[in-house]
Amino acid sequence: MEIILETNNLEKKYKSFRALNHLNVHIEKGAVYGLIGKNGAGKTTLIRIICGLQEPTSGTYTIYGENNNSSNITNVRKRIGAIIETPSIYGEMSARDNLIEQYKLVGMPSLEGIQELLKLVGLENVGKKKAKNFSLGMKQRLGIAIALTNNPDFLILDEPINGLDPQGIIEIRELILKLNKEKRITILISSHYLDELAKIATHYGFLDNGSIIKEISSEELLKKMKQKIELKVSNQKDFVKYFEEKKISYEVIDNKTINVYGKYNLSKFIIELSKKNLIIEEIHEQEESLENYYMNLIGGERVD
Amino acid sequence: MIKLFNAGFERLRKNKIFWLLTMFTIGIALIMIYTQYNDMKRYGEIIEVEQLFLNYSTMIGVVIAIFTSLFLGVEYSDGAIRNKICIGHKRTNIYMSNLIIVTITSLFSYILFMIVVSIIGIPLFGGLTLQFSLLCKLISCIFIAILAYSSIFTFIAMGISNKTITAIVSIMLVFIMMMTALTCLNILNAQKFIQKEKVSLVKGEMKPEIVPNPKYPSETKKKVCQTILNIIPAGQMFQIAGQTASDLKVLILYSLGVIIIFTSTGILLFKKKELK
Repeated sequence: MEIILETNNLEKKYKSFRALNHLNVHIEKGAVYGLIGKNGAGKTTLIRIICGLQEPTSGTYTIYGENNNSSNITNVRKRIGAIIETPSIYGEMSARDNLIEQYKLVGMPSLEGIQELLKLVGLENVGKKKAKNFSLGMKQRLGIAIALTNNPDFLILDEPINGLDPQGIIEIRELILKLNKEKRITILISSHYLDELAKIATHYGFLDNGSIIKEISSEELLKKMKQKIELKVSNQKDFVKYFEEKKISYEVIDNKTINVYGKYNLSKFIIELSKKNLIIEEIHEQEESLENYYMNLIGGERVD
Repeated sequence: MIKLFNAGFERLRKNKIFWLLTMFTIGIALIMIYTQYNDMKRYGEIIEVEQLFLNYSTMIGVVIAIFTSLFLGVEYSDGAIRNKICIGHKRTNIYMSNLIIVTITSLFSYILFMIVVSIIGIPLFGGLTLQFSLLCKLISCIFIAILAYSSIFTFIAMGISNKTITAIVSIMLVFIMMMTALTCLNILNAQKFIQKEKVSLVKGEMKPEIVPNPKYPSETKKKVCQTILNIIPAGQMFQIAGQTASDLKVLILYSLGVIIIFTSTGILLFKKKELK
C-alpha cells in the first residue's frame, strides 16, 4: 500500500514545551485517517508542520515520498488541500469570489468547475452573500470547497466539525465520505469528537503528549472493541486449552485475567465452563466504545 | 509568482479599501485644486501646478500606511497567507508579490492624483513653470521614495500577524517619521543670528539687538539632521516638495538602501516565521 504521509521521530519544541515528541505517523493512500487526541496533544502542531506553516525542531517527514528538507516539497504541497482550525476565506467576498481567488492562486486555466464545486459543498444557492455572514457550517463547507480547487489527492482537515450544530456535523460527515469514496481522496482528519470520527475513519492515530501511542485500522479496532467478557481465573492454562479446542476468541491479559471476545449468553457460558471444571472467580461483561478504547489507551502503557 | 499576482490583483479589484483609496485620492486632488483656485481668485496668487504634484508627496506616506496595513492585515486575519503556503507557494514569492502589489497601488494613487490635477489644474492655473527635466527628476525621486515607504509598511504588515496592531504601528510610524522630518527641517532652517526683543538706544534711536542664535545647530548636529532627512522617506518628501534637496542622487541612494534593508530583512524574518 502506498504511503502518502510518513513522519519519522518528528519533534517540535516551543521554548521548554515539547508539543511533538518523536512522533511517527503513517497514512496510507485512500485512507480516512482519524487523528485522535485531547486538546494540546499535538494534533494541530503536526498539521501545521505538514502544511509548511512551521518547521520541526528535529525529525523528518515525507509527503508522497518527498522529504521535508527537499526543495521539491513546495511542489508536492500542491497536491494537498487543507483547512487548519478555521477555513481560509475572505470574509468580504462571496463564496464564488472566494473560489475565483483560489482558482487564480492555484493557476487553474479557466473558471469552469466553480459551480460544480459550490454544488458539491451545497453552497450553489448562496448568491452574493458575503462569506463573513455565513453560518459556521457554511464557512467550513466553503473552506472545504477552497481546499478542493486544486483537485488534491490528500485533504487535511483540522477539527472540521468544531462548533457545528448537529445538521452541520452530518453535512460535513457526508461530504467527507463522498470525497473519500467518489473522488478517492486520502483524508487526514483531526478531532476530539470520537463518535463522529468512528463513523468515517478507516484508520486511527491516537495522540498523547505529542506522541502517537497507537496506530490502528478501523477493522482491527472493531475487533478490539467487540463485546468482551473479562474472566478472573486461577487455573488459566485449562481455560486456554478449552478456548483453543472450542476456537473461542480470547486474549490472555495477565496470569489471572483472560478476555473472551464475542457475544455469549453469560449463564449458559458459565454452566458450560463449570461442566469442564473450569471455575471462574470473577466475571465482567464489557462493550467497548472508541472513547473507552482511547481512555484505556492514554491511561495505559505506551504501545509502540 | 504570476499566480500570486493574478490572485492579488483580482482581490485588489474587488477590495473596498482600494476603491476608498482611489476616491480619497481624487477627492484630495479636487480639494487642493479648489483651495488653490480660491487663493488665486482672492489674493491674485500665482499657482504652480507642479507644486501641487510635489505637495501631495508629503502625505502619501499616510495613505500607504493605512492601505498596506488594512490590505495585507487581512491576509493574516482571514488565513490567506496560511492558505498560500499550504498550496505550495514559496514564502519569498508571497512576500515579494505582496510588496509589489502594495507598491503598484501606491504609485497608482500618486499617478492618479497627478492626472486629476493635470486635467483640471492646467486649464485653471496654466501650464508647467518648472523645467520639465527637473520635474521629471523630482517625480522619479518621489516614485522611489514611495517604493521605500511600501517596503517599510510591507515589512511591518508581514511581520505582525495582527491586523489591528499592524494598522496602529504603521500609522504611528508614519506620523513619527513626519514629525522627525519636520523637527530636522526646523533645526536646519534655524537662523545664525536672531533679533533680540531687547532694544538698545543708539544715538537716541531704538534699534533691535542682533545676537547669535543659541539654538543654531553645530556642524555635527546639522549633519545628523540632514542624514535623518535623507534616510527617512518623509524627510525626502519634504525636501522634494520644498525643492531644498541639494543632491537628488543621494536621496535615491538612501531610498534604495531602505528598500534593500527592509525587504531582505522582511523576507528573512517571514521565512522563519512560525505561522498559526
